[in-house]
Amino acid sequence: MSNLSSESPESSESPESSESQADSNPDKRTAAEWITFGMASCLLLTLVGLVIAVWIDPRHQQPPLIEAAQAGVIWESSGQFYVPFTVTNAGGGTAESVQIIAELEIDGEVVESGEQQIDFLSGGEAETGAFIFSKNPQQGTLKLRAASYTLP
Amino acid sequence: MGKRRKRRHQWANELDDLVRGACGGFLFGIPLLYTMEVWWIGSFVEPVWMLGAIASSFVVVFLINRTAGFRKSSGIRLADAAMETVEAIAIGILCTLLLLILLQEITPQVPLDEALGKVIFEAIPFTLGVALANQFLSGGEPDASQTDSQPAQKSGQPNQPDELNGTLSDIGGTLLGAVIVAFSIAPTDEVAMIASAVSAPWLLGFIATSLLISYAVVFQADFANQSKRRQQQGLFQRPLSETIVSYLVSLIAATVMLLFFHRLLLSDPWQLWLTYAVVLGLPATVGGAAGRLAV
Repeated sequence: MSNLSSESPESSESPESSESQADSNPDKRTAAEWITFGMASCLLLTLVGLVIAVWIDPRHQQPPLIEAAQAGVIWESSGQFYVPFTVTNAGGGTAESVQIIAELEIDGEVVESGEQQIDFLSGGEAETGAFIFSKNPQQGTLKLRAASYTLP
Repeated sequence: MGKRRKRRHQWANELDDLVRGACGGFLFGIPLLYTMEVWWIGSFVEPVWMLGAIASSFVVVFLINRTAGFRKSSGIRLADAAMETVEAIAIGILCTLLLLILLQEITPQVPLDEALGKVIFEAIPFTLGVALANQFLSGGEPDASQTDSQPAQKSGQPNQPDELNGTLSDIGGTLLGAVIVAFSIAPTDEVAMIASAVSAPWLLGFIATSLLISYAVVFQADFANQSKRRQQQGLFQRPLSETIVSYLVSLIAATVMLLFFHRLLLSDPWQLWLTYAVVLGLPATVGGAAGRLAV
């Protein structure tokens, strides 16, 4: 019933009422809505542009190229020796289940080894971690290498 | 003066629409934001699939927008639906990007292709939530006579049983919503994964985001029942105090769920309890906010 009174000729002539009618008119977008649409379009076009840029990047076509290396100094705590490492995918494609192996050789014999697996390594991505040995790696030769990966 | 007021009114309406869209996205998309398999898809997906995903989500959201949408004054013309679809996808992308940064799934070290994949695949369910925002918790605007009569009650003698019932109803609604959204996330490894990467200042970011989304869902998004909530009687009827108290209730609910699934043990240090509770507290709070609107 209250709606009927708001539709009376007197109220429809008031300027505020006609403004609010224009605002609620679904056929006419307000300036605020147009600005929002403009910003949203820019954002969507930027996203699509970035995806296309990645698509046509020749680096993206290359296979994964996995490199594992010691990163930083070895430190000792509670009789354990921590060897920080970095594994990098210098290629283009993503590698899955990347396996990193560290072997400690003393007097030509492998006395300790460690293994680490990284779920996904995208092109250009690097992950860090540490291997832990009970013997001092500085007394022998430490070999760090990427052993395997699968393609997703 | 009239023009300025009209412009301010337009922007206020626009902000309400955008916040409503974002809140619909949070309600629908947050469980998948806590799913590592979706992060992984983003890690290896090819660019052509990303473009396909954007195109297919555009079609689906466009069809939803023909009948639903996130705007109150949603038109049904093709052009309106198409424009609203662009806006819904943009809201989805922006909110998903911010949440993935919060979850530390996107950092400066993450390559561009991986970040794009994660954002696009997480944004799809989020965008569906944006498009369905008007359908969430819809029950029509409360009856004018009902809302008019409640302030009259308030101005009269305070009604203690009503206050108690209102408070219990709020807590019950918060717990119900928190359990519905967070129960399926609590036993998964994602909570531990996210928690292991967050620092103390980052936890403050989780708390601030949880409070902000909770406030927006209940008091800003203009979902059905919002005005009814503003009239709700109870011990914490002010928006700010209600938001904070319901966040604490959601944190307790999250902790109990983590204990239930043995993700937390009594022997664990208190720092772990705090971190896990705050991390799971985000989806629990979003669910709790929806729960309070539903009761």
